[in-house]
Parts: sequence; C-alpha cells; structure tokens
Amino acid sequence: MRQARVSLLVCLLAAGFLMSQVATGDDVADRARKLHFSSIVLDTHDDTTQRFFSKEFDLGKRNPDGAIDIPRMREGGMNAIFFSIWIDGRIMGPPAVQKALDQIDLVHENVIKYSKDLTFCRTAEEVRRAHAQGKIAVLMGVEGGHMIGNDIHVLRMFGDLGVRYMTLTHFYNDEWADSSTDKPAHNGLTDFGKEIVKEMNRQGIMVDISHVSDKTFYDALEVSKAPLIASHSSCRALCNHVRDMSDDMIRALAAKGGVIQINYEKSFIDQAYKDAQDKLSGGVVSMMDQIRKECGDDPECAEKKMADIEKQAVADGKLPHVSWERIIDHIDHAVKVGGIDHVGLGSDFDGANMPEGMEDCTHLPQITEALMRKGYSDEDIRKILGGNLLRVMEANERVSREMQASQY
Amino acid sequence: MKRTGLARTSLDAALCILAGMVLAGTMASDGISERAKRLHFSSLVVDTHADTTQRFLDDGFDLGARNALGSVDIPRMKKGGLGAIFFSIWIPSKITGAVAVKRALDQIDEVHEQVQRHRNDLVLVTTAEGIREARKQDKIAALIGVEGGHMIASDLSVLRTYVALGARYMTLTHTGNVEWADASTDKPVHNGLTEFGKEVVREMNRLGMMVDVSHVSDKTFADVLEVSRAPVFASHSDCRAICDAPRNMSDAMIRALAAKGGVIQINYHVGFLSQEFRDAERAHPEWDKAIALEIRQRCGEREGCRLIEGDRITREYVLRGDLPRVEWTKIIEHIDHAVKVAGIDHVGLGSDFDGANMPFGMEDASKLPRITQALLEKGYSAGDVKKILGENTLRVMADVERVSRELNASE
Repeated sequence: MRQARVSLLVCLLAAGFLMSQVATGDDVADRARKLHFSSIVLDTHDDTTQRFFSKEFDLGKRNPDGAIDIPRMREGGMNAIFFSIWIDGRIMGPPAVQKALDQIDLVHENVIKYSKDLTFCRTAEEVRRAHAQGKIAVLMGVEGGHMIGNDIHVLRMFGDLGVRYMTLTHFYNDEWADSSTDKPAHNGLTDFGKEIVKEMNRQGIMVDISHVSDKTFYDALEVSKAPLIASHSSCRALCNHVRDMSDDMIRALAAKGGVIQINYEKSFIDQAYKDAQDKLSGGVVSMMDQIRKECGDDPECAEKKMADIEKQAVADGKLPHVSWERIIDHIDHAVKVGGIDHVGLGSDFDGANMPEGMEDCTHLPQITEALMRKGYSDEDIRKILGGNLLRVMEANERVSREMQASQY
Repeated sequence: MKRTGLARTSLDAALCILAGMVLAGTMASDGISERAKRLHFSSLVVDTHADTTQRFLDDGFDLGARNALGSVDIPRMKKGGLGAIFFSIWIPSKITGAVAVKRALDQIDEVHEQVQRHRNDLVLVTTAEGIREARKQDKIAALIGVEGGHMIASDLSVLRTYVALGARYMTLTHTGNVEWADASTDKPVHNGLTEFGKEVVREMNRLGMMVDVSHVSDKTFADVLEVSRAPVFASHSDCRAICDAPRNMSDAMIRALAAKGGVIQINYHVGFLSQEFRDAERAHPEWDKAIALEIRQRCGEREGCRLIEGDRITREYVLRGDLPRVEWTKIIEHIDHAVKVAGIDHVGLGSDFDGANMPFGMEDASKLPRITQALLEKGYSAGDVKKILGENTLRVMADVERVSRELNASE
C-alpha cells in the first residue's frame, strides 16, 4: 500500500500537477469509491451460469461460496456481466446445441426472476441505460464454437437469443478452429471457421479469441471486419501460459481496435504459481481429464473438485500464494503494451482459481483504488472498468449494421 | 375456371349473388365483386398454417419472386390480400431429441433470414398488435408456429427458446405421438396428455404461446381444454361432420373449443375437406404408396420439394379421373358448418398451403378473395367476414397474451 501511494505521488508530480491539497490515503480511498460506484463496471466472463442448474444456488441471495450473486455484485459495484454459456468441448453436434439453449434459457429466466435488479442487454446503449436506471446489465457470451454444432443457422439463433460474443474454441479444438491447449489440427481457422467469423461480424456477435491458438488468433484478426476481444486472457510477458497473450498479440489486437479483458485466474497471472501447478498436474487438460473421470457430466462437481484440490495444495505449500495485486500488474502491462483504450476486466469468476484478496466480486473496488494509486486518471480507469469494452461492442454493432445494410 | 366455383355453390348462394350484384354493383372479370374486394383488402387476412418454410431450405427458392409452383410467395400473398402468415416449423415426428431441436432452429433461422431479406415487404411479429402494426406499415406480418411437440425434446428450456425466437403457437403433436401427448393418427399410449404434457401446456400459457390442438387425439384435446388457462385453437383442421377424418374436429369438439373462447382455422387440404376424396384415397391404399414413391423419385429427402410435388402428383391422379375433383367451395362449406356449430366468433383460416393438396380454385394465396366473395354471397355481413378472415384469430392471440401477462404478474 505504502509503495503504491509513493508511486502515485511521484507520478502526479512528474506529470506536473499543481496540487492544492495533498491527497491523503483516505482521500484516495474515498475518491476511488466514488469513481468506482459511479462507473460502469463490466466483467466479460463469469461461469456462474453453471450454478443456475443447482437447487442450492440462488442468484438473488448472498451465497456462502462462489464469487457472484446479486448482493455481492451490488456490494462490489459490478453492474454489467457477461454470463458464460459453456459446456465441455468434447460434447458436439445437436446435444451441444441443446445444452447451450438450456443455459441461455436459464440466464433469461434468472433475469425475469430478478427483474428488479437485473435487465437483459443486447447493446452498449442498453448497458448504459441499465446503469442509468441503477440496474445490473446482463449479457451472454458463448464460450466455445463447438456449441453451434457446425451450423451457421445455430450461430444466428444464439445471436437472436442475445448472445453477444462467442469464444471460437474452449480447451479443445473444434471442427473449424484450433485451441491453444490442444494439438493443432487446422492450422488456425478453416475456411468454414472464417465464414463463421464473417457471420459473427454480420450478426454483431463479438469474436472472442481467448482460448484459441496463436494461429487461430491471427487468422481471426485478418478475417474479422470488427474489433475482436479476448474475453478472459492475461499477459504472457508476466506469466507464460498459452491461454495468455504475447505482447505482439496484444499490440495486434489493439491495432484493430480490440480489447484484452484481464483474467484473474492464478495460473494465468502468476508465473511461480503456474510453474508449480504444471509440476503438480502436468497441464490443464490432463488435470481436467482426471477430474472428469471423478465427476462425470457434472460441471459443478468438477469446479468444486478443482477448487478443493487447489486449496489443499496451497495449504500444503505445493502451490505458492498469489495476491490479487497481480491483476493490477497485468492490467498495467497490457496498458503499456496495447494502450489505455485496449484493456478491460474478464474475471473468470466462478470458473477459475481466484487470487487471494479477489475471492469474489465484492473486492472489485480494490482494482479502482489500486489503479488510482498507480496514477491512472479517472477517465482512464473508467475505460478499463468497462468503457473500452462498450466501445468495442459499439464498433461491432456498427459493422453489423453496415454489413446488413449492404447485403441483399 | 373463373366462374365454375360460383356455379357449383348452392342455390341460396346463387340468390345471394343476385342480391350482392344489386347491392355491390358490378362484378369484375375475376368473379370478385367490388364490394368483396374492398372488404377483403381492407381486412386483416390471417393464415395460421403454411408449410412454405420447408421450401426456404431448398436451394433456389425465392420468396420474393412469383414462383410457378407452390402456393405462397410475396407477389401471390399481396395479390390475395394476405396480411399475416404463420410459417410452420416442422420436421417429421420420428426425428426427436437434440437433432429435432437443431433442425427446428435451422428453420426458425430461415424464417428470420427470409424476413430480413424481404424486409420491405415482410416484418416478423409476435403479437396481435404487431399484426395490426404491420398492416399500418403496409407490410405482411410473418409469424412462427411450431408444428409438433417432438421439437422441444421434452425440455421446457427449449420450449422457452422457441418463444424467445418468436414462435407463437405450438401444435402439441404432429402425426406421431410425442413423449407426452397422443396424436390423432397414432396408437394412443398416454391416454391424452401426460403430467409433463400438462406442464407443457401451462408453460405455454405462461409464455403467451397459443396451444394448437390440430393433429392431437380427441383425448389429448379434451385434456388440453381442461388444463389450459387460455383459449386454445386448431391451426389447421376441418369439420368431421362433413369429412370424417381423425385430423378433423367433431361438432362436440368444435363447441367445446368455442366455449373456451378458441377458434378452428379451416384447412384447405382436399383429404380433410371432402369425404368423397377421402373415401377414394382409402379405397386405393396402393395409390398412396405409388405417390410416395413418385415423390421420392422427384425429390429425395428435400421436404419443400416433397410437399409441393405431393400436391402436383395428387392432381395428376385427379385429372386422370382416379381421384375425385374437389372444388375450393368445399372450404366455404366447412367454414359455414363450423360457424353454425360454434358461432361466428370461433372460425378462421389455416390453409396448409405448401404442405397439403389444394382444391381446384384455391391453388395459391392469390385466390383468397374468393373466400370473401363467397361468404358475402352466402349472406355473411362484412363484420362477420372480417372475423373469419382474421379478427377471430387476432382475438385469441390477444387473449393468450393477456393470460400470459396475468400469470406472470401473479407469479
């Protein structure tokens, strides 16, 4: 904390600010809170959707576990959220489509059930309107192209149902795109994969390149007429994980107007943790395989198992502690590499191992305060909290309108 | 052709022609009086069942062009004054589970894409008010009905998804039973609706989706009537009193449907309109097999082609004299019978265009003004004709929407 305050002062002085009053720590905390709770705080990736199937989970109540529910979103000032539609990447074809529909329906049903707090949004403008009305904006992203069942019709139906981004792959390759955590089979995007990217542009569904292989990323970047997003990825320069983005990739993404939404998962943000985890489990996929054997088809069980194993390993000293402040390091690095207009937040809450001090969304104001102490301006912080992502959404909406108008 | 239909109507209709000519003045060369035209084209004409959707999946079909085959396209809908059309989402009932869901999505998307492509002429709507609004914009309202509960794969989330995508009715079964309801043309296994089937009906009520009892067994119909909180409708069925097919409704069923505020939408399929045709068909089951074979040869598995060619081949049998010729005026008989049984507020139009065998004189949507002309000739008032053409259906839609709002408010 002390260090952060010193660096803030240095930064402010260096910038030549005439300070009529020197900010005390409490002033910064107050200002940060005011800024945070008046901003659109948008998270592009939350796996809470899986919990909607559980009878024990209630989005409207404060839950003893997990990271997201309405009371905690209110407390943390998170007022825009993309619920992730996700099923195991090895379920394909029509069953994958139906399971995705089930989850989409549950998101809609929860919005209806908690309509006093939540409102379903399809556009950046709707997110802003929800914020003005004091409501939490609910959006949806489909995490994995396998859920469209190789069928552009289905992709469009997802769009009609309100899906606003699709991650091209999950952990496994799908039939038209390579994943970063699977053996390359398509050399990036196939021709059909390119067609899908174009159709996503036409539908105004943001192309999400988290999870995809580097070659798929560059292919998508070349094909897409609209800016891309990485809905939940961090920086390889700080933690060399295939799920993260290299500086070159971040720069290329930014050059096309896109945004990297920093993921809070410990093994994506902390090199020491990742190294230790690799030693323990031999990579994500093999660990997932093991857990799947034990949990079968129950994603909630898998989540819980993974969390339990992880917790024990940290307690036993087999995995190092990771502080939430690593998130700030990644944000700051991505800003330095990609520019202030190209970074946002994609927590992976309820789907990943959260660092200490960021156990749930009530901790989000810390990010605003930390950035403020680092010398970020209010305007820049608002961009990171949600403004950048809304700009990318708007750009996608514009491209969609243009494509639809020029067609037929 | 133009006057044949009129010549074959009954005597009192002929008298009405005279009366109509006196009242409405001149008769145009197409056999439609000026008065009928004015009435028809100022009315909202709603058709609750067209299978044109199957053609959308076939290469080369253009809804915007006048097609030589089939019954429905934009030019012919305009010529016939059709104001609103429910495009049917249908796959054979033997296809079930997730595969059925995905194929239903493909068709819903095709409807959306067609509407988008022809957005100067069409607009996708989901409410009675939406249909009226479309008319104000001089557009044809496109709506979606799901023909067969097998397409929800016994999954209420999927049902809700269809509603979210714009579907506003679901026929509980097609020709085969589903896992939760018996069909009229299958062996009963559930004794009507199962408990889950009742849940489906209640959820449809909550969602504002009309419950369609065409195709279902009599027991399923009775169960639905008991469970549903909103009026139910038959999207494309005729009167058993005139043609005794299980797909049609008995007078008692029509009365019960009406008593709950529902509506029977008269189907133009010759096999449901004409007892004579039905008897001839049943007397020669080998023709049915021969027709099926011929269809397969011409179309393979392309459903759009199959439905259109089925109609054409059947006509070839009629022209050869093997099957009896059925005139479009049969439609008027069924309308009139249903009105007599149920009352003027409970009858509408559900053509089955592009999915059935059309009678002579009602080959396509452009012929629809004939119905208005014939009803006027029969002595129906302008207000009553409007009800049959679409207002009754709009009332049921509005009632279903109201019940949905009430159920959601009380939840």
